Amino acid sequence: MSTDTDTARGSAAPAGTAAAAASAPAGRPRRAGLPAWARRPWIAAVLVAAVLVAAALLPLPQSVTAFPSGPGARVDGVLNDVYDWAVANRDSSPVFIYGFNYLSVLLGSAVVWIETLLQALTWPGVMVLGLLASWRAAGRRAMLVVLAAFAVFGVTGLWDAAMTTLALITASVALALIVGLPLGIASGRSDRVERALRPVLDFMQVMPAFAYLMPMLLLFGIGNPAAAVATAVYALPPSVRITSMALRSVDGGAVEAAASLGSTGLQTLLKVRLPMAKRTIMLGVNQTIMLGVSMVVIASVIGAGGLGDAIYQSLSKVDVGGALEAGLAIVMLAIAMDRVTAGVGAGSDGAPTALRSPWLRAGAYVLAAAAVAGAAALRIDDWPQQLRLYTAGPVNRFNDAFADAVGGVTTAIGDGTVVWVLDPLRAVLTQSPWWLVVLAAAVLGRVFSGRRAAATGAVALTLVGLMGRWGNAMDTLSQVLVAAVAVLALGMAIGIAMSRSDTLAAFLRPVLDAMQTLPPFVYLIPAVVLFSVGRVPALVAALVFALPPVIRLVNDGIRGVPQNTVEAASVMGSTSGQLLAKVELPLARSSLLLAVNQAIMLILSMVVIGALVGGGALGYGVVFGLKQNEFGLGLTSGLAIVCLGILLDRLTQGRKTDA
Amino acid sequence: MHKTLTRFAGPALLKGAAVAAGLTLATTSCAATSGDVSSGGSGDDTVRIAVNGWVGYEASAAVLTHLLENELDVDVEQKQIDEQPSWQGLNDGDLDMIVENWGHEDLMAQYGPDGNDSVVDGGSTGNIGTLGWYLPQYMVDEHPELATWEGVKENTDLFQTPESGDKGEFLAADPAFVTQDQGMINHFDMDLKIVHAGSEAAQISEMRKRYEREEPFLSYFYEPQWLHNHIDMAKVEFPEHTEGCADDEDDVSCDYPEYDLNKIFRTGFAEDDSPAYRMLENWNWSNADQDAVATLIADEGMSSEKAAATWAEENTDVWQEWIPADA
Repeated sequence: MSTDTDTARGSAAPAGTAAAAASAPAGRPRRAGLPAWARRPWIAAVLVAAVLVAAALLPLPQSVTAFPSGPGARVDGVLNDVYDWAVANRDSSPVFIYGFNYLSVLLGSAVVWIETLLQALTWPGVMVLGLLASWRAAGRRAMLVVLAAFAVFGVTGLWDAAMTTLALITASVALALIVGLPLGIASGRSDRVERALRPVLDFMQVMPAFAYLMPMLLLFGIGNPAAAVATAVYALPPSVRITSMALRSVDGGAVEAAASLGSTGLQTLLKVRLPMAKRTIMLGVNQTIMLGVSMVVIASVIGAGGLGDAIYQSLSKVDVGGALEAGLAIVMLAIAMDRVTAGVGAGSDGAPTALRSPWLRAGAYVLAAAAVAGAAALRIDDWPQQLRLYTAGPVNRFNDAFADAVGGVTTAIGDGTVVWVLDPLRAVLTQSPWWLVVLAAAVLGRVFSGRRAAATGAVALTLVGLMGRWGNAMDTLSQVLVAAVAVLALGMAIGIAMSRSDTLAAFLRPVLDAMQTLPPFVYLIPAVVLFSVGRVPALVAALVFALPPVIRLVNDGIRGVPQNTVEAASVMGSTSGQLLAKVELPLARSSLLLAVNQAIMLILSMVVIGALVGGGALGYGVVFGLKQNEFGLGLTSGLAIVCLGILLDRLTQGRKTDA
Repeated sequence: MHKTLTRFAGPALLKGAAVAAGLTLATTSCAATSGDVSSGGSGDDTVRIAVNGWVGYEASAAVLTHLLENELDVDVEQKQIDEQPSWQGLNDGDLDMIVENWGHEDLMAQYGPDGNDSVVDGGSTGNIGTLGWYLPQYMVDEHPELATWEGVKENTDLFQTPESGDKGEFLAADPAFVTQDQGMINHFDMDLKIVHAGSEAAQISEMRKRYEREEPFLSYFYEPQWLHNHIDMAKVEFPEHTEGCADDEDDVSCDYPEYDLNKIFRTGFAEDDSPAYRMLENWNWSNADQDAVATLIADEGMSSEKAAATWAEENTDVWQEWIPADA
């Protein structure tokens, strides 16, 4: 495990943080000291692929191709022993009775307390308070979004579920910030702390959440406490990274001026650095909340309740419309929280002038208090039935009709993908000797990203084998690679089209927003109905999830090419195609590289969810481990996904780690 | 400025330290067992019921909840959670009852009277659970030999799909469920490959789709289950389950056993012997009863609360005798 995190050292931030965007590679890579054939990386890649295919075609016995199984079995055994010890000692070991159990009680009561408060306020009370608070903090537009969110909770009949979820998110985000902000401050002030934290944060972001639900259950018990900790762990990294980055980017002049005026280190931090970094730190808070919301469905697997439950219960009845209603409520919750925190981050200019007059403000609060008291006194508990909309039925009918109309075509496409693409690639990876695959990864790492990436990649892949997950990892790797090619091809095409047309861009933006915030669970069932259970619906779900950022990055990259360069090329007589191939794409190179990296990381984060519709392999190992108490299997499968993440991240980062 | 700050902060800091020390003392003087880790939060007499992820279970839980709330005036908290973690929930004191348990002798050994002594067997629910291999009736009509395992073994090519390659496809269950399929495939030497649908939702979607197109499938499934109202399926016949035939998970020479589905209670909850406990203990009904409620939920799109209320109104004679005399 410690070797595992060591390999992550020296990476740049993956997965959508501003830090990754800021440090994207630029300029031509260094190529000194490479043999001639390696100067053209794509030739090297084709050669490596040819060797693997040739090896896979040889009738090699299983004993040569498969990774030796001894070490993996030992790892599983040790982990299962740890699990059994914890189960047996939950009520006697001091680690539990003085440690985790207290934390559980504290967290559990915090969530329940917030939820009780929200319930006591009743829905009119929550609405009035929420609207006033968002108006005051973030302005009128944010307030309108909050109003829309409340309306969706109400008309879908999910008000109570939404409040449960809100309580859990509030407690989890508070926990994440209590831990994350001090860590971010520490790492913003000390390079050593930053270096030490970076691999830990990388690890937290790549490790699939499903894989650590089980340890959480074991340490904290089912329900709110475990769900709050799991959500906090998942949501914490951006608050640390962005706080650190914010402090580092504070203008040196101001800090120096404060120091020369005799401020102590603490005073400079509190009075100069933190206030100046506030805007950026709020961005970190915003990201933390967004990640917290995206854990809602997963947290309900361990009894968190709320909107996630609504999605799960709909799925057990194959009720796509019901799942979509709950999904929409989650999307609205995410958008509302995003707009409010973004408004707060943008500064007080969002606050309406009307509310700045102390009398009016006092009046508004009195009004709010009256509404809450009135609602409580009248015991208005439930959202009125007349204000309910029922959309699940029509959505289900549309879904069935749509499947009938195109089902034949999509099934044929899916079957073709399995037979002609997924199966051959999996065969190449599983039927080549394992050491040859490791070697191939090292060679590719060397030509694409340099010596260090080569070593890291080879070690990560070997670790997968040592944990006993070689075969499944190769299966997963083949699926991830196919999905990545599909995402990039589609993403490039749509992104280029989007950069050419402002109308298309304006139309696509809200669609992309919705694709990114809608819980993937909502589109899993339609994917199964259109394609048959197996790797294809998993691939489709990954595609939907990973496409938006790729489209955005391609679009931004091309639009970021200086206008006069484009004009100069046009004047010289370039056709539109030449312009794209010779000017725009090369100049947008850093955005495109980042798009490749992001696509792969996001696809990897869908491996476990894909297993819920037949993706199998490592994802299934994680889910099976969680559901059948197979601690060793679940954890090593999760770690194997992390290893694949490290390998692919290094291969696609270009040469910046080496430079 | 700096000075004033220290002057005011001094005593406050001292006070803070004292409080912290006091807290530490308080903390070390009493240990929190996992039983204290109650996330329920409502009153002490709230009954907390685990809700596992299939509709039949949800139906049973909904009816019990309806009766507890309306007949005994007891608060109920339902918690959506998978089978295995539910047992941990009972053990930790987070939950009071598992409504419909399928086997799980290993968990009973771990948490039951011979283990942690934190759960007790609450007796039969009256429902009989059947697990096994199912295929659509139209296939059996066309190939009568498919009704038994020998026939399936001879015709595995019928079930071939791209995902299963050159073998026949066996659609597996939700990863949370009890299975022995690979052991059966090994023992009877069948040319089948297990394709993990990964969730019951995906499995049912696939079965429904193939049924509509009259395509073949061979799948793990179970009864009582609402899908049987839509899809006419036949169960493949295997040698009957005998003691010990499924002990080696890689070599299973028999069909799944028939399950007498039972309730599991938290020991402390059972010992309290509240009216709520006695009602739950008395509860016993038929597969047809459960199916009636499950069908209202899954087919008519009723909320589980409403389905339970509807059933309770029409079946007073069934549930009247569960209500304890003094309640």
